[in-house]
Parts: sequence; C-alpha cells; structure tokens
Amino acid sequence: MTKILLVIERDLRSLMMQKSILMMRWFYAIVQIGIFGLAISRLVTAMQDYYTYYAMGVIVMTMYSVAIFTGYEIYDEADEGYTEYLLSIPLTRQELVLGRSLAGGIRSMVFMAPIIAGFMLLIGIVDPVRVAIALVALFGFTFGVSGLSITLAVGLRSGDKFDIIMGALDAFIVRLSSALYPQAFMPKPIAILSEFNPLTYASDFFRWSLNFNTRFLANPVTALIVLVIFLTTFNVAGVLIYERSLEGGTWR
Amino acid sequence: MIHGVVAVIEHDLRVFFKYKFTLAGLISMNLADLLIMAVVYTRMVSFNYFQFLAPGVTATGLFAAAFVIGREVNMETRRGYNEYLLSLPLRRAELVFGRMTAGGIRGMIYATPLLILAMFILKFPTATQFGLMLFAMYLLSMGISGLAISLAVALRSFERFTTARSLLYLFLIFCSTVFYPLTILQQILPGSLILFAQFNPLSAVADLIRGYLIGIPPVTGQSWTGLVSFSGAFIVAGAGLYRIAIERSVR
Repeated sequence: MTKILLVIERDLRSLMMQKSILMMRWFYAIVQIGIFGLAISRLVTAMQDYYTYYAMGVIVMTMYSVAIFTGYEIYDEADEGYTEYLLSIPLTRQELVLGRSLAGGIRSMVFMAPIIAGFMLLIGIVDPVRVAIALVALFGFTFGVSGLSITLAVGLRSGDKFDIIMGALDAFIVRLSSALYPQAFMPKPIAILSEFNPLTYASDFFRWSLNFNTRFLANPVTALIVLVIFLTTFNVAGVLIYERSLEGGTWR
Repeated sequence: MIHGVVAVIEHDLRVFFKYKFTLAGLISMNLADLLIMAVVYTRMVSFNYFQFLAPGVTATGLFAAAFVIGREVNMETRRGYNEYLLSLPLRRAELVFGRMTAGGIRGMIYATPLLILAMFILKFPTATQFGLMLFAMYLLSMGISGLAISLAVALRSFERFTTARSLLYLFLIFCSTVFYPLTILQQILPGSLILFAQFNPLSAVADLIRGYLIGIPPVTGQSWTGLVSFSGAFIVAGAGLYRIAIERSVR
C-alpha cells in the first residue's frame, strides 16, 4: 500500500509541475461553460435549463480529458527511455500500474475540485449524500479512464497510433455521449452508440446527484453498474498489458 | 526569387503529408462536430443547425490545418534547424514568403474538401462565388500561418507555444460566428469582445461562405474589408516577425 501511495505522490507532483497545461485546461473549461455554453443554451428551445445541463457535462468531460493524460505521460516515458528506471524500482508491476491508474483518477478530482466546488455553491446542494456518492462514482470513472489510457498507450506502443486513437476517441467519445446533449434528442443510431459509452453514465450520474430533471438522464442504478464494470475491466486489462510490455525495457 | 520560393513550398508540402496522424485527428474532430454534434443540436434548436455549422467547420478546419506549420517551425527552432535554413542559398524574403505561402496552401488542401462537403449540404455556388470563397479561405489560411510561424519562433519553448496556440484557438473559435450567430454573442459578451468577434477573420470566412451558399448573412463590402484587413495585418506582422526571429534564434 505504501508503495502504491509513493507512485500516486510522484504522479501528483508531476502534474503540478505542468502548470501551464493545468491553467489551459481550466481556462478551456471556463470558456466552454462561460461562452459556448451560454451562447448555445440561448439557441436551444427544446429543453429548459440546458445551460446547467451543459455545464455539468463539461465538468465530467474535462475530468475525462485530464485522466486520459496519464497515457500520454506513459508513452513519453517509454519514448525517452525512462522505462528501465521504472523497472529498477522495488515495486511490483501491479503496484506500479494500480498506483498510476489511481493517481490518474485523483489528479482529475484534484484538478476539477475548485470548479466542481464553485459550481455546487452556485447551484446549491439539495442532497449531500447523493453528491458524495456521485463524487465517488466520478472518481471511479476517472480511475477507469486512466486504466483505459494506460491500456492503449502500452498496447499500441506507437506514439503516432496512440495520438490518432486518442484524438479520435476524444472527438467521438465526447460527442457520442450525453455529456453535451441528452439522449432524448439524439437520432436513433447516435443514441444506441451513446448507450455503450461510459461518459454518458458518468455525466448523467453527476447530474442526478445534483437533482437535475431525471427525464433527460440515464437510470442512476444502471449508470453505477456500468461505471463499476468499466473501471474494473480497464484496470485489470491495464495491469495485465502494462506488466507484459514493461519487460524488456524501452519500446524502441 | 520564384525558384527559391517554389523550393520552400515544395519542402513544406512534402512535410505536411508526413503529419498524417495529426491530420486524421483533425478530420475526426471536424467530422464529429458536423455529423454528430450539429445533427443533435438541429433537433434542439429552432433552425437547421447542421446547415449553419457546415461553413463554420470549414473555417475551423482551415484554421487548425494552417496552424500546423507553427508546430513544425517551433520544433525546428528548438532543434537548431534554423542554422541550416539560413545557410541555404535563399534570400530571407524567399524563405519567409515561401513558408507562409506553403502554410496557406496546406490549410487550403485540408479545408477545400470541407468546403465541398458544405456545398453538398447547402447548395452549389456559381464559379465566381466558388473562386471568391477559395480566395477568402486562402487569405485567412496565409494570415493564420504567418501568426503561427511568428509565435513559434518568438516563443521558442514548446510548452509556451502550445499554451499560446490554445489561447488563440479559444478566442478565435469561441469569440466568432463559427458556432452561433452574432446576435447571440451580442447578448452574452461585453462590447470589446463583440467587436473582436465581428472582425475576427474566422467569423468573416464562416459568414462569407454562408453568404455565398445560403444568402444569410448577406455578403457585403464590409465582410471583405474585415477579412482583408485582419488577414493582411497577420500576414505582414507574421512575415516581419519571422524574419527578425529566425535570425535572432541562431545568435
């Protein structure tokens, strides 16, 4: 356990060193909520309070993007020949990958904490227990996304392939989910695809915790089950694949 | 003069196609915006958002592709490649003009298929209108390349460059009429930002394409004046800054 904590501490420190990236992501989330969200919500006539719906989605979407960052770091480390150093540390592979996935989740939570807190203060918390459950679920989601990102980075072993797959995933996962708009307004093929997207359940579960109109949300129990399956699958896959790919040192 | 410029353009176009992964990422983003996001929003707003966004996506695609040259120039500056460029039997003016022209052409190569897609979605223009749209896009593309190149050399650090690029991206895309009409921005932005959105070259190109393809907003002399002056300023400033910065970078 202490060793996993060391990995987490190290990954948190490395995130704090990238101040400009952090500031940009905050700024990006704020502009998305403060300009795009406000503008588009004035165009939307099909539902009331779309602005709040959108802002909640952007929060979860940004947490997803921060968690994805872990994969980029792992790829950079391998590319720069840092893998040998990691192999020489007195840690088991499982401790290393679990520590990194957990750190990815914690980093997302720490990163978004000020925005989440500000947003909750602004709209008011009706049910603190629900909010607590949702925050735990969001942590689980980002923990799973880190696992997914690690799985892809070590599974592909190519910066170019990783870059394109992450770019495409980012573009399609976000748009094929209910992060930006409710499933109720999606054409059938898009709605079906969004049913298989964990971002849909993470966003809707967060909205449910903040008492948003349930007419536009996925069932919270289903959402919770999907999130648990998602985080388990990708962390187990991440541990297995990372363990194998670390052997033999650098990827080049 | 012409021979040197052509050689620089040829080099930069060859390099452009090496960025196939970056281009594939860009295409995914633009197509996802148009074919998924715009389709869903069309069901949520009171007008055809899909048709509204098609020209906007052409403008954002053009912007992103024209900016790729900045990333390349930044890498060259950090890796000391500028010494090699300055040692070539080319005049500074040839190098600067060649790179900016290539940046403009690269943006066009990427964005022209998006324009054709917008034409399929909206309507086919006359040959003159098509030519004018391409000219407007080229002006913007070259202006953005100039801006990207000068930022890349002046900032030097990759982190600073990407931060500046993201800031510019945020302001130019979100404070423009790419995603929403100007009347909406007038309701939510303060006066200075509305003025910025009005004269933003991305707004100008998106609205010019809309004007030529659907007639709304109508194309006026002011649409062209805004685009020419903003892009012209970017082109002149970009060329001047690149010329100064490339020499300073090797001292």
